[in-house]
Amino acid sequence: MDQETVSTICYLARLKIDQTKSEKIQNDLETIIELISGLQSIDTSNIKPLYSPLEMTALTHEDEEKSDNKKEKFLENAPASNDDYFLVPRVVE
Amino acid sequence: MSIQFKSITELRAMLDDKLISPLELVQESHHLADKFKELNCFITMDEDLSKKKARTIDLGKENNSFLLGIPLAQKDLFCTQDLRTTCASKILSNFIPPYTATAVEKLEDSGSITIGKTNMDEFAMGSSNETSYFGNVHNPWKKGYVPGGSSGGSAAAVAAGIVPAATGTDTGGSIRQPAAHCGITGLKPTYGRISRWGMIAFASSLDQAGPLARTAEDCAVILSSMSGHDPKDTTSLNVEVPDFLSKLNYPIKGLKIGIIKEFDLSDLDKEVQTRFEESKKVYEKLGAEFVDVSLPNISASVPTYYSIAPAECSSNLSRFDGVRFGHRAENTDDLNDLYIKSRSEGFGDEVKRRILIGTYALSAGYYDAYYKKAQQVRRLIKNDFDLVFESVDILMTPTSPSTAFEFGSKGAQNPVELYLEDLFTISSNLAGLPAMSIPHGQVNSLPVGLQLIGNFLREDQLLNAAHIFQQNTDFHLAKPSMEDFK
Repeated sequence: MDQETVSTICYLARLKIDQTKSEKIQNDLETIIELISGLQSIDTSNIKPLYSPLEMTALTHEDEEKSDNKKEKFLENAPASNDDYFLVPRVVE
Repeated sequence: MSIQFKSITELRAMLDDKLISPLELVQESHHLADKFKELNCFITMDEDLSKKKARTIDLGKENNSFLLGIPLAQKDLFCTQDLRTTCASKILSNFIPPYTATAVEKLEDSGSITIGKTNMDEFAMGSSNETSYFGNVHNPWKKGYVPGGSSGGSAAAVAAGIVPAATGTDTGGSIRQPAAHCGITGLKPTYGRISRWGMIAFASSLDQAGPLARTAEDCAVILSSMSGHDPKDTTSLNVEVPDFLSKLNYPIKGLKIGIIKEFDLSDLDKEVQTRFEESKKVYEKLGAEFVDVSLPNISASVPTYYSIAPAECSSNLSRFDGVRFGHRAENTDDLNDLYIKSRSEGFGDEVKRRILIGTYALSAGYYDAYYKKAQQVRRLIKNDFDLVFESVDILMTPTSPSTAFEFGSKGAQNPVELYLEDLFTISSNLAGLPAMSIPHGQVNSLPVGLQLIGNFLREDQLLNAAHIFQQNTDFHLAKPSMEDFK
């Protein structure tokens, strides 16, 4: 894993790594990738992936309108909001 | 009257016999939490509301719940309405949830009283409680030693006798390993047994809530209360919840216990091996039969887990972006900059490491090689368990390869060193099986745990095997002196 790959992954994850820690992170990632690369030697041909231990179909429910609107409560947690919306820096000029 | 180190069963009797009132009990718990503040096992206390609730409890009614008036602590990743929930992260350090997690709601509906929120590894990522934004938790048995993780605060609070039980979550061993390191009993139920709604997600296909308590009997009480179908969690199982307390005390004569051949215990500390052999003898004396079994793919559990868990974490933690809740960075140029700065300031190093690994494993060109491959190996591991459970009732391993260790002594140079702490616990999360840790003695004056793994939805069998062990041994009664913390 080179520095460029680390930078790409950081951008995809919307994370910035401190310059002083960048080499350590790169080494750590390499070590972990080496650990998980050990799986390559296991024969998994014709084996279906197991994405959840339950393998059940998601349950559905009637599409009913419910009245527990907690808009104010949710907006209280927002770092910036007005009466109806979460506020973010301007995205269109 | 001291309530320190009392079990739920003992406190129930004290309340029913009017030796203590619910208010006195809650006050005493707060007093102990304050006295042992240095343990750092709590992030937020709920003193006013817990006392208010205690005052309203009426013990005079008939058919009262077993948990009525019992003080409990909740791991700080369960959302609690109007009570700060941080996940031990800077990014949620100001988060006040508008709702309560189903698991906690069920416990409170049973009459228990939440006294506070416990410290943990940040977003439950860690095995030593050293990744918390709110600082390390000390092991009550030895200052400067880790309590295990990620539910380290919950384990320490129970081990120090502040509360009789606490909630935890277990993604790869996060209930069982701290229970082992702190000398208490911890249970990770079957995946789907307890609702995950309101439990801040780390790895959704592995996370499961459960109890940490002083005895298997108390774990049975808490499990019965926490369990049950929840329409708000699509992975919550719609199955009958037994009264687990009534399933204890069955003789274990003829119980078939499997010993996993692939786990070479000769690499472990000699004393850890000795404790394991001694516990086997206890079970043999009680009539259990030991069978060597093979789980050919189990040694791939750690790499499988460290592909799947970070992938799910990178996806789950993308919601923390500084827009709707949590930490937002100041002085940002645009929306993208706001995301990057808020996340970079808000997450600690271990969380970042796992997000990056997960992002890599899920990125174009690597998805098949890492993520899909790991899910295929996961099926092989589960198939091995299915086969083995055709011939045995439970499996037995040590919970952890070692005892609690000193702060900073593992994983600083190489994170994988700490990941191997979960060697024995991870596979049951991958397969969704219930597993528990019970204390079975000490090594160098620090507790060690014995792990029992059960078949799908057979917590009753696990709890019974643990309870019978505790009826015939006194390891679960050992208490730390707490002298370091006075």
